[in-house]
Amino acid sequence: MKEKINKFLDSDLLEKYLLDQTTKEEAQQTERYIAMYPEVREAYGQLQANLEAFAKMYSRPTPEGLKEIIVRSAKKEKKTLVRFYKYAVAACVAIAFFAGSSYFFWNQNQSLQQENTLVNNKIKYLESNMMNQLEDMRNQFIVLNNPDTKRVEVKGKEEGKDLKAVAYINPVKKLSYINLGNVPELPENKVFQMWTEVNGELVNLGVIKQIKDKDKLLALPYGEKAISYITVEPQGGNSSPSVEHIVANISY
Amino acid sequence: MSTLIEKHIVSLLAEKNDRAIALLYENYGDTLYGVAHKVVKDDDLAQDVLQESFIKIWKKADSYDSSKAKLFTWLFRITRNTAIDKLRSTNNKAGREIQIDVSDVYNVGVKGIDPDHMDIQDNLDKLEDKYRVVLEALFFGGMTQQEASEELDIPLGTIKSRLKIGLRELGKIYGTTMALALILNLLS
Repeated sequence: MKEKINKFLDSDLLEKYLLDQTTKEEAQQTERYIAMYPEVREAYGQLQANLEAFAKMYSRPTPEGLKEIIVRSAKKEKKTLVRFYKYAVAACVAIAFFAGSSYFFWNQNQSLQQENTLVNNKIKYLESNMMNQLEDMRNQFIVLNNPDTKRVEVKGKEEGKDLKAVAYINPVKKLSYINLGNVPELPENKVFQMWTEVNGELVNLGVIKQIKDKDKLLALPYGEKAISYITVEPQGGNSSPSVEHIVANISY
Repeated sequence: MSTLIEKHIVSLLAEKNDRAIALLYENYGDTLYGVAHKVVKDDDLAQDVLQESFIKIWKKADSYDSSKAKLFTWLFRITRNTAIDKLRSTNNKAGREIQIDVSDVYNVGVKGIDPDHMDIQDNLDKLEDKYRVVLEALFFGGMTQQEASEELDIPLGTIKSRLKIGLRELGKIYGTTMALALILNLLS
């Protein structure tokens, strides 16, 4: 340890530090030595005293009036500094206010844009929905009023014997609709499901729910020599029809 | 400098009390003016340097750390650096080579020392020239040890040892003077 301290004292780091000529790392090392070792602290204190003694050897009486100028400058500087802080605080408040309001408006703009997109999407959806409904209404009108339309009564059998439906098929306009007049209640774990075989492909038309509007017409996919089936399937529907549970079929 | 006054000034500086500047000036003004003058070698420039240094001291008052340096060391560093900067900017303006001016520092010797400071002059005379030249180059010339070595044509090792010995010698001279002053005070 002693050797380490002597080595440090023999180096010129302390003198360089005294004259503010050290690098940042050297200064940190010197400060560490000064803080840790009394010998170094004492040597540094001695160097400082010697520096003061050396500098005093070059003392010169200051010119008359310089003190007043310097004291006045310092006071002026203090006032400027106070004024600067006041302006700085005011500027910070103003900046904070503008930053806050900018953020608020930006945020509002963002949510308005989102709302705008949402409304636009809704309008588009409603538009397309309305077009579809109009198209459907037009087709229903055609199918019901066209003289070429065939009316096929459908009666259920077995579990669906109370099922009553009327299918409207128009081969000219290639449209077909079905009106489910009466859908009997099934046990809770069973449902009616509708299928259509068009051009050899079986299309799942979905589960028939209890029809609230008995005059409602449901569109059926049209195909030459198509056959529609109504089957009884387990709750939730089936991916392929249970042939043994066909309760009605409609050929057109 | 009594530690009591030093402490008082430091606490006034920390409070940003205007009185600190007047007290600093009264207690260190002559020495710092001498330091500035030794570097710039011009009355008007030295006055500018002193004024600028005091403004810096005032502005940097918060950054003074008494655990890192004595008050005088801190004041000396600020004044010395301000003076060196001033000299450089003046030399740059005049389009002169800085080294020429800096090298003049060693030839100036004790020119301009006030008769009131003759006791100090005596002390300076006690310090051998070879040490004084090195100390002046490093303290007032704004040079690193390497630069001083090149400028004075003295090996770097010698510069280092003369700085060390010079400062030590100074301590002895200063210590004797202080002891004499103390004895005289006791006798009076």
